[in-house]
Amino acid sequence: MGSPFKKSPWVIHYDASSCNGCDIEVLACLTPVYDVERLGIINTGNPKHADIFLVTGSVNEQNKEVVQNIYQQLPEPKVVVAIGICATSGCIFRDCYNIQGGVDKVIPVDVYVPGCAARPEAIIDGIIQSLRVLEEKRQIMSSMSGSIDQMIVEKANQSDLPEILALQKIAYQSEQEIYANSSLEPLNQTMKELEQEFRSMTFLKVMVNGKIIGTIRGYKQGETAYLSREAVHPYFQGKGLGSRLIKEMESYFPLTNRFEVFTWFKSKRNIYLYEKNGYRQFKTEQVSETMEYVYLEKIVKAKGSQDEEQ
Amino acid sequence: MLDLPGGHVRGGFLMKTILIIMVYLIFAPLLGGLLAGIDRWISARMQARFGPPIWQPFYDVLKLRQKENIVVRRSQNFYIFFFLLFIIFTGGLFFAGYDLLLVIFALTLAGIFFVLGAYKASSPYSFLGAERELLQMMAYEPMVILVAIGMYMVTGSFYIADINSFPHPLLRYLPGLFLGFVFILVIKFRKSPFDLSMSHHAHQELVRGIITEFSGKTLAWIEIAHWYENVFLLGIVYLFCASQPLAGCLLALAVYFMVILVDNVFARLKWQTMLESSWAAAAVLGLGNIIVLHFLR
Amino acid sequence: MINLSAVIDPGCRALFFYGGIVGLLLFLILFPLLAALVLLFANDRLRNIMVKAATVIIPVYSLGLVFTHFNLPVFHFALQIELMNRIMLALEILLGMYIFWVGLKYRKYWISILIFIQVVLMTGFELSNGHNLVIEHNLFVDKFSIIMALIIGIIGSLIGLYALGYMKDFHAHYQEPSKDNRKFFFFIIYVFLSAMFGIVFSNNLLWLYFFWEITTLCSFLLIRYKQTEEAVNNASRALLYNLLGGVAFVIAIIYLYVTKGVVELDKMIALGKAGALVPAVLLSFAGMTKAAQLPFSSWLLGAMVAPSPVSALLHSSTMVKAGVYLIIRLAPILQGSLAGLLIALVGGVTFLLGSFIAVSQSNAKRVLAYSTIANLGLIVMCGGIGTYEAVWAGIMLIIFHAIAKCLLFLNVGVIEHRIHSRDIEDMSGLIISMPRISIMMQIGIAGMFLAPFGMLISKWAVLKALVDYNPLLAVFVVFGSAATLFFWVKWMGKLLEVVKPLQDREKGISGTEMLPLYILASLTVGVCAFYPAISSRLIEPYVIDLYGRTTTMAQGNIVIMSFMMGLIALFPLSFINYGKRVKVNDSYLSGDNADSSIKFYGAAGSIKDVQIKNYYLENYFGEAKLTENGIVLCSIFLVVMFGVAFL
Repeated sequence: MGSPFKKSPWVIHYDASSCNGCDIEVLACLTPVYDVERLGIINTGNPKHADIFLVTGSVNEQNKEVVQNIYQQLPEPKVVVAIGICATSGCIFRDCYNIQGGVDKVIPVDVYVPGCAARPEAIIDGIIQSLRVLEEKRQIMSSMSGSIDQMIVEKANQSDLPEILALQKIAYQSEQEIYANSSLEPLNQTMKELEQEFRSMTFLKVMVNGKIIGTIRGYKQGETAYLSREAVHPYFQGKGLGSRLIKEMESYFPLTNRFEVFTWFKSKRNIYLYEKNGYRQFKTEQVSETMEYVYLEKIVKAKGSQDEEQ
Repeated sequence: MLDLPGGHVRGGFLMKTILIIMVYLIFAPLLGGLLAGIDRWISARMQARFGPPIWQPFYDVLKLRQKENIVVRRSQNFYIFFFLLFIIFTGGLFFAGYDLLLVIFALTLAGIFFVLGAYKASSPYSFLGAERELLQMMAYEPMVILVAIGMYMVTGSFYIADINSFPHPLLRYLPGLFLGFVFILVIKFRKSPFDLSMSHHAHQELVRGIITEFSGKTLAWIEIAHWYENVFLLGIVYLFCASQPLAGCLLALAVYFMVILVDNVFARLKWQTMLESSWAAAAVLGLGNIIVLHFLR
Repeated sequence: MINLSAVIDPGCRALFFYGGIVGLLLFLILFPLLAALVLLFANDRLRNIMVKAATVIIPVYSLGLVFTHFNLPVFHFALQIELMNRIMLALEILLGMYIFWVGLKYRKYWISILIFIQVVLMTGFELSNGHNLVIEHNLFVDKFSIIMALIIGIIGSLIGLYALGYMKDFHAHYQEPSKDNRKFFFFIIYVFLSAMFGIVFSNNLLWLYFFWEITTLCSFLLIRYKQTEEAVNNASRALLYNLLGGVAFVIAIIYLYVTKGVVELDKMIALGKAGALVPAVLLSFAGMTKAAQLPFSSWLLGAMVAPSPVSALLHSSTMVKAGVYLIIRLAPILQGSLAGLLIALVGGVTFLLGSFIAVSQSNAKRVLAYSTIANLGLIVMCGGIGTYEAVWAGIMLIIFHAIAKCLLFLNVGVIEHRIHSRDIEDMSGLIISMPRISIMMQIGIAGMFLAPFGMLISKWAVLKALVDYNPLLAVFVVFGSAATLFFWVKWMGKLLEVVKPLQDREKGISGTEMLPLYILASLTVGVCAFYPAISSRLIEPYVIDLYGRTTTMAQGNIVIMSFMMGLIALFPLSFINYGKRVKVNDSYLSGDNADSSIKFYGAAGSIKDVQIKNYYLENYFGEAKLTENGIVLCSIFLVVMFGVAFL
């Protein structure tokens, strides 16, 4: 019978800034001539019910948050199909002052359907292609969800960096949501910067079935160890992984008395996570009009002094 | 229990009831899902499309079970679970032959859990969907109770078992109530022109109305609950011609086809029209029928 | 000089036992009066002690009544006290003079005219016939009185307790009345309780009338409590309408005595339809004014200016119930008569329109008031039909409605003090800011209309009774219930949805306010579990006494209802799984969420709050239009009713 995902892909269509050419073709797919419902495809009009996110047109300043927001509201597993050349690369609009470029500039895209406008046959083909990706994601998700107890936490290698960067971008997507007006550094980090960091910091990774689902990095400067860029894949958030990563990372700096982390002022969940692990806020810093950093610290009594007391 | 002859009979009756309920629990969703599939297939054909496979609703539900469950408020899904539970309970009571009024009250209770779940989700779309669902309930409730009263007047009992074993087709005595019931079935099946609170079809002004904020497994529960509900509603249609089982089944199927046809022919109407017309139907067709019955008796 | 004599075969009862019941009855009538006198002069500390003591003593004695009277049918008591009649007459004249003066003071001359007619008729009657009157039994107690006494005793004293904390807050919140008049308030509340016990135990119609008038006056004084112009006007209206009923009451007594030489309730009922229809119709009219049936419904809405305990006690649980109590008592006379049918029609129209209008109201107390009017209409309908099934259903309604509605009123009272509004739209998110109150509120609302709670069981019984009597009457219940469902559920939804950040507002509600709420909430649920026992022990024997047969819920249905109750009881269990295996995300706002579920980007990047409001369907269920139609319709019914009764 195969996977039910292949038989029942529900789509949501969003027009970023299309000229309506591709939109018309997407809707043409629903008409009697092409009738995608025979493949089980339904246009749900609601991200919370959809599996496939169809985006037409290039992304501009106005709607980049909307695209991210809708992407965020699609339940996992989900795939994104960029339809038309504008959605693929920005095409002739790519140099416009207000154009971000293709859809992949703001959310991860799985399938590109070029064309101006993309023909219905191509669109249907794109959706069918995306089903393979969807199935792959589902398999990862279901194989992983059963094996959360068998995860391995270990130091990352140089070769893990691309995967870690990808994970970081997926994981910080939800944070970005909260700060609509200013973009966060983890999302803009390039491979080069990451490689530079790798040389000076300790990187940890959490592996399940050979896939990296969580990461954190830390370094020591003077008496303080700094933890940063903690990221957990959205499938696995809320399962205690965050706390575990913090503890593992702390154990890499055994003789340290003070740990420090920073996060953004509206990230209640992060602050809660750190506070649960013994961190306390000690200062905030206004970095721009809309952004404020929150610094948290944790003071640990040195092992030696505890022994003396006993 | 075996010492008493009466006990034996009662035990047998109980066994039979349990058996019926088991059969209902297993086959009602299968039948309901199949009917939903047929509905989509027929609708597609009416629109000159090929349409999905008949098993499509089952694929959808299987898929939804594997999706992530996104909520706005953590407790919103409990209400939906109870919606499903009480819908199943309602159908169980119905097919076990209990009091028709009690069945209607249980159905209302189930519906209210659904509405409360949507309220709890606190999104403008689901809120408005919930409000409209309530309007729909207000619109069809009188007609449903009038049907129960009419059946009682003819058969002298509210018990579905007794109504079912009445020797003549009820349709002969209750044509008005039957027509009125078919009218409000359009609301209950969530079909155009009265699919105000949620629609099976794509984009509408309410996004997905009452179910906007439910996803994954919870959405699958809602779908399954509707299958159970639809089978039970067709069961009430069957009661109108229960003396001839075959004709009763055909009647139920014919009504189902009618509703699909109406769905494809009409565009959605305003809630005002729904409330006015269904209350008018209840007053004219339902009450009219009861008045005639009352004075003929 | 007290003269005791047992009516029912004396052989089987020991005198002390009999004396015990008389003692109980007198205690229940006199103890609240005593408490009232103490409270009139008590300081804050003594008041606390007194009210708390009364809260224990009155329910215990009311329950005592159940247990001493457990297996016995009706009890009648002679209790001849010459002096008492004199005192009552004197008090009646005094009350009459006070009300006459009130009418003049507020320039509501109709009040003065009505009370003048009433007092003149009554005094004339008593002075001319007083020595001829042969009253065999002044007091009595039967199962129905016991049910009423339990409602008054338990709910009444709980409300008294609640009022302790509430009235303190009340004076802290409102400018009016400028003077803290709590002594007077509690005095009236307990006088009222005493009078209510008097009403349900009186067999002598003259006594019944005396207590009836006292409740009218109490109602007036309590509605006027704020002393604002609105309060005074509404109180006067309540007084006026109730006096109309009072005049009918006096005429009924005189008519009954003149035609049949009877002034006792049991003898009047024994006369039956042929003998006592006219006085029964007159008394039912009095009952309908008291129960705020349609032409007179506006007084109950006006009464909502009173503090919440007053609304709960007088205007939903007890005083208005006295009206329907009388009608249900007279049901055997009304049964099958055309006048009875017209009374049922008034009740039916009131239920239908009351439920409809409640849909269009957003003021919580007005919704409750309309729902009260509607449900009283349903009970009046049962009384008017008067069949054994209807009486059974009517008594069930009285019980369940009293508990659930009282819970709701008291909850709204607490909420109003916390959020400074009684608008349902402002109750959004109460589940977060006042979780316990909001859960009790939902229990109360569920108790009002949902299966398997009490009110639904009763409505179901009403429906069956109506269908058996005349299916056409069922139309009122069928359409009215649909509207009922709508306005309750949208209120429940409003309590549940959350679209703004909220803080905890539940802290600091006094224990004397919370305790009655807890008890009433558990009663709302508990009574559903025990109603088969209540039915078989109290209601069915009463119905059998009157009609020789009774009805009850079928065993199978009780089992199923209990099963449903069990399923609902599982609901809190689902919180074990709270938040597991779900991902919390913002609600869908077309992708334009700003920051969260509760704000979105509007035009030109402005940030707007999400606001969601209920439907009120003004065009269909608008108050003014429906009330007007209802008044016209019900007035016609009443005129026809008197017409057919007298001719």
